[in-house]
Amino acid sequence: MIRGKGEHAEGAPDPIVRRALELRGDEHTSHRPRIGNMSTSLLVELFTDHLDKGYAAAARRRKDESPKGRRRATAILAVGLLLLGFVLAAAYRATLRQAPDSERARQALVQDVQSGSALSDALQRRAQQLSGQLSRERDSALTESRAGDRTAADVRRLEAAAAQRAVHGPGIAVVVGDASGTEQVDPNTGQRVPVPADDTGRIQDRDLQSLVNALWAAGAEAVSVGGQRLAPTTTIRAAGEAILVDLRPVQSPYTLAAVGDPATLLPRFADSDAARRFQSYTGLYGIQFTVRAAKDLRLPAATDPDLRYASPVAAPTTVSGSTPGSAPAPRPSGGGR
Amino acid sequence: MIPALALVAGVALGLVFEPVVPLWLQPYLPIAVVAALDAMFGGIRARLDGIFDAKVFVVSFVSNVLVAALIVFLGDKLGVGAQLSTGVVVVLGIRIFGNAAAIRRHLFRA
Repeated sequence: MIRGKGEHAEGAPDPIVRRALELRGDEHTSHRPRIGNMSTSLLVELFTDHLDKGYAAAARRRKDESPKGRRRATAILAVGLLLLGFVLAAAYRATLRQAPDSERARQALVQDVQSGSALSDALQRRAQQLSGQLSRERDSALTESRAGDRTAADVRRLEAAAAQRAVHGPGIAVVVGDASGTEQVDPNTGQRVPVPADDTGRIQDRDLQSLVNALWAAGAEAVSVGGQRLAPTTTIRAAGEAILVDLRPVQSPYTLAAVGDPATLLPRFADSDAARRFQSYTGLYGIQFTVRAAKDLRLPAATDPDLRYASPVAAPTTVSGSTPGSAPAPRPSGGGR
Repeated sequence: MIPALALVAGVALGLVFEPVVPLWLQPYLPIAVVAALDAMFGGIRARLDGIFDAKVFVVSFVSNVLVAALIVFLGDKLGVGAQLSTGVVVVLGIRIFGNAAAIRRHLFRA
């Protein structure tokens, strides 16, 4: 077979091969032509000679079939097979142990995240409950006198401005979302993986800011982003690739709910610069942007602001008299807008 | 008979003792396995060809594992470790398939 290939090469029209054969001087080579150091037989050998050459050599060499030699061969073979089995089993074990390790770590992390967010939710609910109780107590305490009534009205007005009360009513809902990514087949695994759209199609924090500003400008009375009520001091900002509203992450598609009269809110918002710009973005970058009127939107209260100037009264024994007068004054509310 | 028992014993030892493969050795384990499989198929084929030799088998097995690991180690040091592992796997894989085909021809005459 080898010679056959050599003869084929000899008749080959390739001038380099012919020249090489001439240089060698022996055209009836028993092997493939060598050009410099390169042997063309390397790849052919790889594809034809699979068996270790040592076996053939050993078979030629072997003459003694003495029982002693055979016993030694058996012992060597036994040791070799012991090693082989050990390597295979060790590799199997290592693979088996490795896979569950990463899986277990992932599961533990997922569990941590879930329990953490559950705890945070529970605390949030408890805080809302307590602040509701607090305002009820305060209202009942304030209704005892006329001055108290006035103060209570003040407090309610300020609370509404500071988004400290849950509200519900008609309004408009704006849904804005990242451009949907395309799916691609991963060349390594063959699985379909979603390929996130490039950054031009991603909603940024400043996009949400401009939309929220447009909503306020259109006359919204209360706004929430992704279920987070916006207080005057609430920030919308980016942390890495996530957008945080009041330090809580929100995810695309973002729902901006604004309570207000839809009859005026909707046309004024739709006519705003931001809304028009986003309308054009839907065609340009494929982002998601819809505006619709809603009959009854329910917006939760914003999280309590950190009180920077007010401090708890030392001895809450005389609740009815002194606190109503002094409490509203140091409230840091009303800021921003 | 004894070699077969030794193979079973080796597998059992590996399974029972759960040898902890050191971290620095782990990149070479897949290569070692492929080299071991290559030696195994080569041995079976040589047996069927009637030219099996225990010494050649053991030496080829051990040296294949070591050389394959060494190549990958050098590749790792030179920054082409992944490519060289692929190369080793391809070459040994071709040999495994070739030997498997020879074994198949021996066993089924097809």
